[in-house]
Amino acid sequence: MDTLSVETSEKEALISDVGDAVIFSGMQGDDDIPGIGQYDDFHTIDWQRDIARDRMRHRYIVKKRQDSIWDLIKGAHDAWSGWVCVLLVGVCTGVVAGVIDIGASWMTDLKFGICPQAFWFNREQCCWSSNETTFDDGNCSQWLTWPQVFGESREGAGAYIISYLFYIVWALVFAALSASLVRMFAPYACGSGIPEIKTILSGFIIRGYLGKWTLIIKVVGLILSVSSGLSLGKEGPMVHIASCLGNILSYLFPKYGRNEAKKREILSAAAAAGVSVAFGAPIGGVLFSLEEVSYYFPLKTLWRSFFCALIAAFILRSINPFGNEHSVLFFVEYNKPWIFFELIPFVGLGIIGGCIATIFIKANIWWCRYRKYSKLGQYPVTEVLVVTLVTAVLSYPNPYTRMNTSQLIYLLFNQCGISNSDPLCDYDRNFTDVNSAIEKAAARPGVYNAIGLLFLALLLKLVMTVFTFGIKVPCGLFIPSLALGAIAGRIVGIGVEQLAFHYSKIWLFSGECQTGVDCITPGLYAMVGAAAVLGGVTRMTVSLVVIMFELTGGVRYIVPLMAAAMASKWVGDALGRQGIYDAHIALNGYPFLDSKDEFQHTSLAADVMQPKRNETLAVITQDSMTVDDVETLLKETEHNGYPVVVSKESQYLVGFVLRRDLNLAIGNII
Amino acid sequence: MYSKYIAIFFVSACVVVISGQSYEDKRCKCVCPSPAAVFNNSATTSTDHRRHYIANVPPNKCNCKGVILPRDGAEITEEFCPRCECKYENRNTTIIKVVVIIVIWVIMLLVVYMGFLICLDPLINKRAKASYQEHTNEDDESTIAGPSQQMGARGNVLNRVTHQQDKWKRQVREQRRNIYDRHTMLN
Repeated sequence: MDTLSVETSEKEALISDVGDAVIFSGMQGDDDIPGIGQYDDFHTIDWQRDIARDRMRHRYIVKKRQDSIWDLIKGAHDAWSGWVCVLLVGVCTGVVAGVIDIGASWMTDLKFGICPQAFWFNREQCCWSSNETTFDDGNCSQWLTWPQVFGESREGAGAYIISYLFYIVWALVFAALSASLVRMFAPYACGSGIPEIKTILSGFIIRGYLGKWTLIIKVVGLILSVSSGLSLGKEGPMVHIASCLGNILSYLFPKYGRNEAKKREILSAAAAAGVSVAFGAPIGGVLFSLEEVSYYFPLKTLWRSFFCALIAAFILRSINPFGNEHSVLFFVEYNKPWIFFELIPFVGLGIIGGCIATIFIKANIWWCRYRKYSKLGQYPVTEVLVVTLVTAVLSYPNPYTRMNTSQLIYLLFNQCGISNSDPLCDYDRNFTDVNSAIEKAAARPGVYNAIGLLFLALLLKLVMTVFTFGIKVPCGLFIPSLALGAIAGRIVGIGVEQLAFHYSKIWLFSGECQTGVDCITPGLYAMVGAAAVLGGVTRMTVSLVVIMFELTGGVRYIVPLMAAAMASKWVGDALGRQGIYDAHIALNGYPFLDSKDEFQHTSLAADVMQPKRNETLAVITQDSMTVDDVETLLKETEHNGYPVVVSKESQYLVGFVLRRDLNLAIGNII
Repeated sequence: MYSKYIAIFFVSACVVVISGQSYEDKRCKCVCPSPAAVFNNSATTSTDHRRHYIANVPPNKCNCKGVILPRDGAEITEEFCPRCECKYENRNTTIIKVVVIIVIWVIMLLVVYMGFLICLDPLINKRAKASYQEHTNEDDESTIAGPSQQMGARGNVLNRVTHQQDKWKRQVREQRRNIYDRHTMLN
């Protein structure tokens, strides 16, 4: 026991830098001691070591392959396990996303009424095969609003009050349930999760953050909090949910489950799948994973992410949660041309978007810091209830905030056709000549009223989202920022459209707009505005543009979207350095080394560091220490790891061993 | 843990039982402006009175000719047709039903379990704690050394479940401390 022969062989197995010297002995070492290669909570992983361990494991399998047919099969299984794992992750992510979409749309409509014949339908589904030729704003006779349930008529003051009350009560019930489930079962399920996923992918360990309970509570809590009508979205949490699935499923494959560095490859793919199902944008998901969340992204991971995102989008698409053949509610199809002059308002929208985003980030970070250091942080559930109550009371009177945010975005993105009966499309159109195209037309009072309401909605959403992002329920901010941008964009779009109508003779519009054809599309402005605000908030560029054009199915608008995203990023970077996720990482103090940061210092580490002269360096020598020595060293010092040197006299570095691994190894011998 | 399986069984049972109501899975939906707005050449009523027509026809017949003319042929003539928008849609009612029922079940189970943990668990634990006071300390130490061997020796299923539950509760308590008390995470 004293000679430490076992100990040194263990130690060598751990030392990644001498990986070649310990060709295959590491394999057995890994299997013998449980827990080797894992890390403590809130520690960072050793990428080099984990990758070296995987290399050794791989060489061991390749060598064994010649031995028997069984080993050959094992080798084959090892080779394809990465693909199988991402396949499973993709399938599960698609299914979970379908559950969330269906559950949330049903529960959202529960605030307004119920379908007595089949309670599991939302309003749209309830009126699916209604035979009435006219019905206003989607209410049919099968669908009972709450006043009708209580025997009142559908219209009138009494009905309005009952609807208002039910709206508030349901919102409070959902929010309270969500907040208390999160508090009771899985506190890690709150928030958007993207800052933490970024930190985890950069090599940090947060135990339980990607666990089973977090997954269940995040899914259920997300359905509840989305339905409560709070100003939040499900897209960010979807990335967290997909990562949880990736983590849980990676334990089926020891190659990934036991190796933290390899596991992060699966997690990167899962994050791509999360965005893929959230926006129905598989390529956008892969690029999001690459641009925004991932840290270590080899080409192999790119292909796996691509596959994973593809599978997830396919599964969600076949579930068809919204009955519109797409995996998002606000899918619109556009094919109208835009004129060159419009680039100016598009860049202007980018600047507006950057400003809105900066205001949002600054205010939200200020509020979150206040929450962190003041007494407010001690009342998480009360805070959720108060925010919900205020949101519900203020949202209901305005039809644009009363409706689901995804529906609002859909409405704003859409162009005014025959089927759109919203006041937003109250134009002075002439329907008599059946065969002509839709002409440009003067706006009637309905449009101006709608603009007023939309402006109020913009203010309300901006303020409420500042207070909402960071409360202790699952909440993301893609949807609110898309909505903010879409409102601003639509308002600008209507302005430009009316300008083109009233002054169609001036040279700007002269070429394209003189013929009377509807040449300016306000819906396109809404889209560009949405991209601008989202780009300003998250500082995404490439992935954002790809997500937006996958949402709209039109390659034609790439240039406007790019212009707006770029302008918004410049304005955002000029006004405030960080995107919202980086700002939250900084606020929480996570150990995240941003790969975007530039290296500013030229001095060497050796010049800056000053070892204390009177203290000896705590080192482990290669082969002259007893177990007793090591134990004393472990007791006397508190370092997380120790350098391994040749001997005390000639301190040449051989490697590095972690305290945890030393403890495990010693525990195993005794 | 077991309650989850029971729940899944119940849900599937429910789904089998309630499968009476017939809702169509496919439809063709057409939207037209009202004929009055078109033929009277008046722009006054362009927003209200849109007409929705829903019919169950095969996808290739989902157009004005197949849906609207048979129904409102007297009022609407063929030249009116370009003003109408028709869309073929399909859905899966079974999936919607199953998903919504599962969601309700899961929420109910979680709420019941939460109620149990809040109300009954402290009572049970208080009684248990009196007799197992010194044991808990020892247990804490043994979890670090290697809980699996010890539990395997005891081998009792109930014990193992309780042990797992204790471990989980400790983790949740730790998470709660990080988030709600110390504010070191997820602010």
